[in-house]
Amino acid sequence: MSVYLEKLRHFRLAIKQHGGIIGAYLNFYRTDELKWGDLIGEDKFGNKYFQNRHYFIGRSRWVQYSDAVGMDYDGSQIPPEWHRWLHYIGDEPPTTAPPVKRSWMVDHKPNLTGTPEQYVPYSTVKPKITAWEPPKA
Amino acid sequence: MLSSAVKFAVSATSRTIRCLHGSAAVCSDKLFVHRDTPENNASLTFEFSAENKKRADLIIGHYPKGHQAAATIPLLDIAQRQSGGWLPISAMNYVADLLKMPRIRIYEVATFYTMFNREPVGKYRVQVCSTTPCVLGGCGCGVIIDALKQKLGINVGETTKDKMFSLGEVECLGACVNAPVVSINDSYYEDLTPKDIDVIIDELKAGKVPKAGPRSGRFTAEPASGLTTLTEPPKPAGFGVRKDL
Amino acid sequence: MATLLKIWPLMGRRILGNPAACLACKSARTASGSSDQPEVELFVNDIPVSVPPGTTVLQACAEVGVQIPRFCYHDRLSIAGNCRMCLVEVEKSAKPVASCAMPVMKGMRVKTDSEIARKAREGVMEFLLMNHPLDCPICDQGGECDLQDQSMVFGSDRSRFVDMDHEGKRAVEDKDIGPLVKTIMTRCIQCTRCVRFANEIAGVEEIGTTGRGSDMQIGTYVEKLFGSELSGNIIDICPVGALTSKPYAFTARPWENRKTESIDVMDALGSNIIVATREGSVIRILPRLHEDINEEWLSDRSRFAYDGLKRQRLVSPMVKDASGTLVSCEWEDAFFTILDRLTGVTGSEIAAIAGGHADAESLIVLKDLLNRLGSEALCTEEIFPMDAAGTDLRSNYLLNTQISGIEEAEVVLLVGTNPRYEAPLLNARIRKSWLHNDLTVGVIGPQLDLTYEYDHLGDSTKVLQELAAGTHPFNKVLSSTKRAMIIVGSAVLQRADGGAIHAAMSTLAQNHRVKSGCDESWRVLNVLQRVASQVAALDLGYKAGVQVVRDNPPKVLYLLGADEQTVTKADLPSDCFVVYQGCHGDAGASMADVVLPGAAYTEKVGTYVNTEGRAQQTQVAVTPPGMAREDWKIIRALSEIVGQTLPYDNLNEVRRRLAQMSPNLTRYGDVEEANYFKQAEELAKSVKSSLASDALTPPQLSLKDFYMVDSISRASQTMAHCVAAVTKAEAK
Repeated sequence: MSVYLEKLRHFRLAIKQHGGIIGAYLNFYRTDELKWGDLIGEDKFGNKYFQNRHYFIGRSRWVQYSDAVGMDYDGSQIPPEWHRWLHYIGDEPPTTAPPVKRSWMVDHKPNLTGTPEQYVPYSTVKPKITAWEPPKA
Repeated sequence: MLSSAVKFAVSATSRTIRCLHGSAAVCSDKLFVHRDTPENNASLTFEFSAENKKRADLIIGHYPKGHQAAATIPLLDIAQRQSGGWLPISAMNYVADLLKMPRIRIYEVATFYTMFNREPVGKYRVQVCSTTPCVLGGCGCGVIIDALKQKLGINVGETTKDKMFSLGEVECLGACVNAPVVSINDSYYEDLTPKDIDVIIDELKAGKVPKAGPRSGRFTAEPASGLTTLTEPPKPAGFGVRKDL
Repeated sequence: MATLLKIWPLMGRRILGNPAACLACKSARTASGSSDQPEVELFVNDIPVSVPPGTTVLQACAEVGVQIPRFCYHDRLSIAGNCRMCLVEVEKSAKPVASCAMPVMKGMRVKTDSEIARKAREGVMEFLLMNHPLDCPICDQGGECDLQDQSMVFGSDRSRFVDMDHEGKRAVEDKDIGPLVKTIMTRCIQCTRCVRFANEIAGVEEIGTTGRGSDMQIGTYVEKLFGSELSGNIIDICPVGALTSKPYAFTARPWENRKTESIDVMDALGSNIIVATREGSVIRILPRLHEDINEEWLSDRSRFAYDGLKRQRLVSPMVKDASGTLVSCEWEDAFFTILDRLTGVTGSEIAAIAGGHADAESLIVLKDLLNRLGSEALCTEEIFPMDAAGTDLRSNYLLNTQISGIEEAEVVLLVGTNPRYEAPLLNARIRKSWLHNDLTVGVIGPQLDLTYEYDHLGDSTKVLQELAAGTHPFNKVLSSTKRAMIIVGSAVLQRADGGAIHAAMSTLAQNHRVKSGCDESWRVLNVLQRVASQVAALDLGYKAGVQVVRDNPPKVLYLLGADEQTVTKADLPSDCFVVYQGCHGDAGASMADVVLPGAAYTEKVGTYVNTEGRAQQTQVAVTPPGMAREDWKIIRALSEIVGQTLPYDNLNEVRRRLAQMSPNLTRYGDVEEANYFKQAEELAKSVKSSLASDALTPPQLSLKDFYMVDSISRASQTMAHCVAAVTKAEAK
């Protein structure tokens, strides 16, 4: 019986954290998950990182992607320092243990495939048709 | 019953097994395309001498109008004789133009017949018959060829440095009875021994014309061991005819 | 083993008994047989068949659907009988018989699938393969090779040729016979088809067999260019990979190609072609059988100029910028630029010139548009005398007797034309007739090598006068026959006195028709056009020649593929606005203010009428490159922009309009015959101009002039190589 009560409590907390029924529904629609936990930090893209040790390891740390990307979120939008924490490589989040900034490090950039800024290789094949070059006036 | 089955099996297998035999691909030592050389190219001019022109006109005149192409071989022969035993490309072109034929038709004829030499040859073309009767007859052509090689210092298919002699091996010259046979230009030397070769070549070198024909002393192709028939003088007219006629 | 062997004849027959073989033999039969002789009956595999005497066993076998394997035999060449592949067993004959060379005899019993025949074939195949390299994987003929196919069907599964001493197979050096035909002579099986083609069809006796026995080889003996305008055909007739196409080398396998049946536009004959494409580009062009036009041959320009379709192309609309340079733009920009210039221009200040590759659809759409804008100044680049009947009577500008009519003709008079380079396949037809039918040919013009003998009547116009008056010695030749043809080249009709030349020939032809009492249906006067669009343009009412543009310089000039510089900037007022629509950047595009990219003949469905008056259509083999579009659609779109929307939206509606204008244009495949010769001749009497004294010389005199004559062939590198090779050969 207490198990069910516990579940109900968690459900209630989750709904509360997402700001009510509608907020929870929208979040569920977006992420297919409904969790509650402590906000650990936020990265430069606006992604929020949560932790709740109550959940099984592997599910106890998660990210809520920035609202700016809408439904087009993907894993490459997570910067490496948060990726490290999120994947349990270490327990210290970058908020408490910021990574050492080295001169050779570049800023993280998400994968741009499918966006207008994507990289398109140019053809190295000779064109089948050579166009006429109009004479210069 | 059993034997018929065995027979069938044997005949079926023998049909599937084939004898293997490899034979050497024998190719001509001549080239059947033209290569320009300083002494043989189309820019050189060739023309029949007045005498040969007369001959050529006579030969062409033998054939009805529109069939002048029939004179190709005799004319090529005249051209070959005039240009020293070989047929330069300019001579072939000249004959083609003379007969109003496409040049390739002349080239076809000249490359087909082995007696047209399309490359310079020596003054004397020594051609040794190496067909079976000459291999077997007399001392055999192998000995003759060796003697010629030694005497002239060249191999078969080559010409001496002084451009005097070309040595060649040919198929049957048609004088099998008098084997071995060598033809030098238009003459046949028959019943040869290596010694005769020495004599003939020396005479040619000295500028003389050796006597053509058998060297064994027999008359033309009569039996080597003397006549075996028709030995007595021929019978007079009316021999064996009934007296009353 | 034994059962397998018993199944094999059945399999063999199934492969052989295809309907195409039957069709082929039908035509062979009609060609060779004369109907008045009694037919000979013989039996092929116990099937009775009656054929005319003189038919060969091979043809008789084809009659009952048994195709005999062959290499040297070819329908259109003389019989050589040297490959021995067609051996069959004939009952009561001691040896197998070469069926291609054996005439049929009464009661003959031919067996094509007996043990003897099969063994003979296998033996021949074994001999052929003994000296044939097994390089099929790197051979361009692979997949369309007769030797490959027939060795699969008729060959043995193993050979007794074992190269135990590693002496190698026979090797023959390759010949360099020009930039079109690649030779790999080791593959040659000495069928001599190419030699016979050169001797008989092309009339250029430069290929022969040299040497003998296993040293025999095909070649030119001296290194030499095979200087023929039909040289590409030896690639098609070569049964093995000895002669292959140089431009097509290592491009594709035949089964990878998509084949489109189309029409050639490189000359006015409208040869039937197959356009082979792969990955969206034309990779080769082959002839397609059409007995009345090209038989199964194709001229080199038609066959090899296709690489010009990929160079110098117009791929996007262009408009001149402020500095006067053409820059690429969108279709709308180009159309609105034209609209800007058209506003305020009256109809009479607009003119259009159609070039040699324009299809009938674009011609009619352009004509409708200009007529709606109020202009009547539509003309073709090719000049044709407009005096007297001019182009009003079709008989004046058609090859009325038709190309196949040459085979029935007894006398042909060529006036100011060099058919060898203007229409090579017409020339091949004349040569064929000259060889087989004792055709007499007379030529007025310069003395040229036409591959056949002819009576040279001189090149002055005086000859024409004498002929028309009936005082020339050649009149006697003409009057001796009921089947005479006069072929006037379109080039000499472009002279100032073209009308007079046409009138003189018209008179001569009509006099001949009346005097000789020839058949009503036999036409005498023929005009040999040189460009593909001319007949359709004249049928649609275009004015021949650009004189009208010179006389009334327009403010807006529309060039529809006109690249021959008949009108240059110098002839036009400086403010004249030139629109060029076409497929290639050539002379026309260079002088244009707006360029509209059109489709080439392999990229559109277009109607072309050949010089006989035969309407045929091209098909789409590849899509037009870039932003280029089908020509009639461009003009239709422009009509909407300029506010004169034309009433057709699709090809069928355009064709309905074509049929309204001239119904013959949509009767595809048929020749619409022309008549009214008498009226034409009477009208010709009214021609005022008199004959000039200059010699009647056609423009194409030597092989060098043959290769590059239009925008496509001028863009072709292959054609440039040909010109270079011929120039080099001539310099030698």
